[in-house]
Amino acid sequence: MAKVTFVTTDGTEVSISDANGSLMEIATANGVDEIEGACGGVCACCTCHVKIRPEWLGKVGKAEEAEQDMLDEEDGTDERSRLGCQVELTDDLDGLVVDVVPL
Amino acid sequence: MPECPYRDPFKEARRKSPVLETEFDGEPVAMLVGHKAVRTAARDHATFSSDAPFRVPIPREEDVRTVRQYPLEVDPPVHAEYRRLIDPFFRRPLEPAYVQRIENLIEELLVDALKRDSIEIVRQFAIPLQSRALTYLLNMPESEAEIWITWGTHVFRDESGVSKGAEMEAYTNSLFDQAESDPGDDFFSALVKARFDGRPLTREEMQGYANIAFAGGRDTIINSVATAFGLLADQPSALIAMRANPKLIITASEELFRFASPVTHLARICPVDTSVHGVDVPAGNLVSLNWAAANFDDSVFDDPEQFQIDRKPNPHIAFGKGVHNCPGAAHARVIIRGLFKKLTEMISAITIVSERRKVEKEADYERVNAYHELTVKLESSASSPDCK
Repeated sequence: MAKVTFVTTDGTEVSISDANGSLMEIATANGVDEIEGACGGVCACCTCHVKIRPEWLGKVGKAEEAEQDMLDEEDGTDERSRLGCQVELTDDLDGLVVDVVPL
Repeated sequence: MPECPYRDPFKEARRKSPVLETEFDGEPVAMLVGHKAVRTAARDHATFSSDAPFRVPIPREEDVRTVRQYPLEVDPPVHAEYRRLIDPFFRRPLEPAYVQRIENLIEELLVDALKRDSIEIVRQFAIPLQSRALTYLLNMPESEAEIWITWGTHVFRDESGVSKGAEMEAYTNSLFDQAESDPGDDFFSALVKARFDGRPLTREEMQGYANIAFAGGRDTIINSVATAFGLLADQPSALIAMRANPKLIITASEELFRFASPVTHLARICPVDTSVHGVDVPAGNLVSLNWAAANFDDSVFDDPEQFQIDRKPNPHIAFGKGVHNCPGAAHARVIIRGLFKKLTEMISAITIVSERRKVEKEADYERVNAYHELTVKLESSASSPDCK
């Protein structure tokens, strides 16, 4: 169990404590705007795109190939981009902050 | 595990090259068959244009419709405005009440199916499900589905050989007449009220939207539903696994879309002479984006000819890719997830009584895509409402 904060596109901070699962699952279960998770977490869409705050990049780690291919083909992605469905919120990531990217 | 019922017909071609030189309607077509090649081309609308009325579907459709389909057959930047006008309707499936309504419909159809000794899935289950569910998407009275059901599996190319295209155009034209005189909250009224860059849509544009709303999401959903029944009959373990772990319903649904790939391919036109992975495509000729071939590319999917309900990641492109990705994807997902959910709750076994596969026989390949006919026996599970 860990805490994660989603900063939505209008600047609202949505913090969820004692969360587990992927960032996409946590966001959709808590109604975070602009995180849709259309494909349910199999890397077949880009509707859970988030940008990891720089100070967390090392701990979160890099995307694997299927996810990176998806990100490479989306507009508005950069080196902070991850698909929320591919980031599991572990205890190591307690306090994580991510920026939500518009759909 | 029973023998896989599907063999990827593009496997050999893809090993040789990402592009297969073939032909349709007597014209050469450069068919992209590799996952990366298809994905990349789908996003490059300058090189591979959709500004080609009647020619984005293959075979071409001048003979079965009179209007350009919107937003399918236009390019960016105007595409975005055409797409924006219909997005609110295609986001309706994201509402929990919508999901519940689809699940209730599926339950009703399964309760009815369980009263029969056997049921022909294509005509007695999938077509009614698709047509009635479409009334929810377009916010139309459910009774309208009775008309739509008579259009068969494919409005333009049903196996009866009779195109219902002209009948459908006359019908949708009458819906727009009605919407103009007495607008409501349905899809057709929304198009009548819509403003494109500040102007009303022309009737031709409205007809173009209506045309694809009926034609585009029809055989695709019908084929996916029939394929779902066929697969679960062949792989009873999948139904058992989903019942034990409902989280698998999500991954199984995506795997169904990959495995069924109900739209084999769509075309783009090259506005100028183009070299496509070494194949020269003259200006005005077609390139095919073969979603089905891409979805069985073994450089992306391990053991692609196996239906694996827990496949993850599963970066399939059954709904296309890029700005033209399927607007109805959310609706389709709600239907297939709802179907799997209700089958796990209500059905313990599916047995095939008879089947007739649908085969696309083209110049350079034959692809099995769903069923002309699939008759099954359904066995009620103890938790079915009928057995309580």
